[in-house]
Amino acid sequence: MRRGVWILEMAAAVVVAAALLVSGSRGFAASVEQAQTSSAEVKIDNFSFGPAALTVAAGTTVTWTNRDDIPHTVVSEDKVLKSKVLDTDEKFSFTFTKPGTYGYFCSIHPKMTGKVVVQ
Amino acid sequence: MTSVAKVFDPGTVLLAKHAQHVVLVHFPIALFLAGVAFDWAGRWTRRKALAEAAYYNLLIAAASTLPVIATGLLAWQFQLEGQRLKGILLLHLVTGSASSVLVCAVWWQHFRARRQGAALPGYVRMVEGVAVVAVALTGHVGGFLSGVSGG
Repeated sequence: MRRGVWILEMAAAVVVAAALLVSGSRGFAASVEQAQTSSAEVKIDNFSFGPAALTVAAGTTVTWTNRDDIPHTVVSEDKVLKSKVLDTDEKFSFTFTKPGTYGYFCSIHPKMTGKVVVQ
Repeated sequence: MTSVAKVFDPGTVLLAKHAQHVVLVHFPIALFLAGVAFDWAGRWTRRKALAEAAYYNLLIAAASTLPVIATGLLAWQFQLEGQRLKGILLLHLVTGSASSVLVCAVWWQHFRARRQGAALPGYVRMVEGVAVVAVALTGHVGGFLSGVSGG
């Protein structure tokens, strides 16, 4: 009788461990996938970048979309970022591979500024 | 990166990114519109003083188109790195160029008439009207671009 209870307890423990292992590996796989395909978006609207400050992980691709009726650009002073003139609904993407703070502005409207912090 | 404009700092004013074009463009616009208004008023009232005022307004308007064109082209080359323009930027370039030519042409007609001591040809007023429309359109597009009007 006691032996049967012990076997049941062991079986339950194995099942729980297996379940934890499976769910953990799925979670890990999902997080790896997220890191590989991570992306972020910045909308340009009403003469401003939104969000003006964005924090992303290294390897993230950031896409700027011009939702304004006016052409804009996305340019950093060191020219790491340099888009062409973006008309309405046009996009510009850049993949940040190195950690750091990337400040940028619109060269047509230099008062428009933003930054991307890459961790 | 984010810079706060320092008021009364010459460096900030002179080295601001293409801000000179936006500032200077107001001179030919205002002077030309005033010149045409004085010219039409002088013709209407037959007062010589108004015709004189018209001439000097048109003279300085024509002269001030040069730095405006220069700063506009520099902004295109430096800020946009000379990339091919399209849409509203191209429209601004085309209307701005046409306006500059018309402003200078109107002044030239006035200059020639003064030098010859002759009356202005009748078509000059029509050219002035066309130029006023072109200047207004250029100013509107420029204001739209800069976010001053309709942005």
